[in-house]
Amino acid sequence: MNAFLAIDVPPISQVTIWGNGPGGFNKTAAIYVFAAVATLLLFVLGTRRKDALVPAGLLQNTAESGVAFVRNQIIMQTMGPDGLQYLPYLTTLFFFIFFSNITEIIPGVQFPANARFAMPMTLALATWVIFNVVGVVKQGPIHYLKNSLIPPGVPKFLLILVIPIELISTFLVRPFSLMVRLFANMLAGHLILVTFATISAALFAKSITVVIMPFSFFLLVAMTGFEILVSFLQAFIFTILTAVYIGSAMHPDH
Amino acid sequence: MRTRNTGLMARGFIAAVGIGVVATFAMAAPASAKPATKAATECIDKLQNGGSIDDCQKAPSPLKPENNEIIWGSISFLVLLVAMWKFGVPAVKNMEKAREDRIRNDLESAERAKAEGEAALAQYQAQIGDARNEGARIIDEARQSADGVRRELIARAEEEAAQLRARAADELRLQIDRATADLRQQVAAMSVELAGKIVERSLDASTQQQLIESYINSVGSN
Repeated sequence: MNAFLAIDVPPISQVTIWGNGPGGFNKTAAIYVFAAVATLLLFVLGTRRKDALVPAGLLQNTAESGVAFVRNQIIMQTMGPDGLQYLPYLTTLFFFIFFSNITEIIPGVQFPANARFAMPMTLALATWVIFNVVGVVKQGPIHYLKNSLIPPGVPKFLLILVIPIELISTFLVRPFSLMVRLFANMLAGHLILVTFATISAALFAKSITVVIMPFSFFLLVAMTGFEILVSFLQAFIFTILTAVYIGSAMHPDH
Repeated sequence: MRTRNTGLMARGFIAAVGIGVVATFAMAAPASAKPATKAATECIDKLQNGGSIDDCQKAPSPLKPENNEIIWGSISFLVLLVAMWKFGVPAVKNMEKAREDRIRNDLESAERAKAEGEAALAQYQAQIGDARNEGARIIDEARQSADGVRRELIARAEEEAAQLRARAADELRLQIDRATADLRQQVAAMSVELAGKIVERSLDASTQQQLIESYINSVGSN
């Protein structure tokens, strides 16, 4: 790659590891602060007209639509009305992940904070703690463990196989897959954007290869649009899986 | 057959030229002793200036991405932004307006339904009040009517009783008169017979009559 067309793709570490500032505060941390502040501002500014029942403006519409989306498309689909108590947590989770993803297309920032796995891991652990606590509180520790490890209708002689599988699947794979799904998708998207930007630059620099540069650039534009979708989709998937896990801990029969 | 061969040859020629062009560009990379990449060059500089290998792993700037990435990423972002501005923003605005209109309509219809409900409630309450008044009036009328009927029945009963009493008194008086007359006749006849037997003489009619009356009068006074 390096010799062919002399494309100078930076190493992965150089597009994901940023130098530390004071107190170890770095670009990734700054993006998370931005995501937290953006989520906060969206709901503080979007709901400041408390007497206005008819929404007006982008902020109020976005805040209200966001809450309605999490309520109708995530909670009601996975947990039912009992899950509405988790609406604040799930809405915050959705917008926080979305805002920390979407920075990958913002010019000058161009990095999704979730391409580092610290925060995906933290959020996945938070989900793990919540659904386990909910399961223990709602079902009691013995029933929760039994319902989690022994699926209904499994013959007794298969339990020796099923129980370890369920143990690994429920208590280890769930948080791990949540973390890896978000982290790997965002890292892959970031690398694709970096790669296409680098290729576009390399092709543009060569006199004849400029002819094929538009294809690369078109793909860069397409992937930028696609990454907006991925940012939204990954936030949605993380939130809905969290809701599914909490819902299954609340209602073991479903 | 010949056409096919010509086509195959043409394709082979194009492929050969293509490979040649790519190979030319591939060979065009400078074959010098310099490190192959910019990152490697920067790393060597850092190491020579006393840096560690960790410094080579990090992005050159703590905040800023590579220039190529900023330039091309920004251009693609702008292209996307223009496209979104042209197609996405109107769609979002339409959705926003549709949502506002729907909520406004819902609120208005809820307000209307509430006003209608309140009006209906007021109407029902008024009707209930009217019905209650009407009921009270009917009960009052019935009571008055019952009182009238009672008074009328009592008056009629009293009147009938008075009539019965009067009739009984008349009847009694008639019976007494009749009995008196019968008695008078019987007494007269007996007196005549008695007198005839006692006196044993005949009297003329007027003398008889006088005797009878004087006898009756004497009986009546007794």
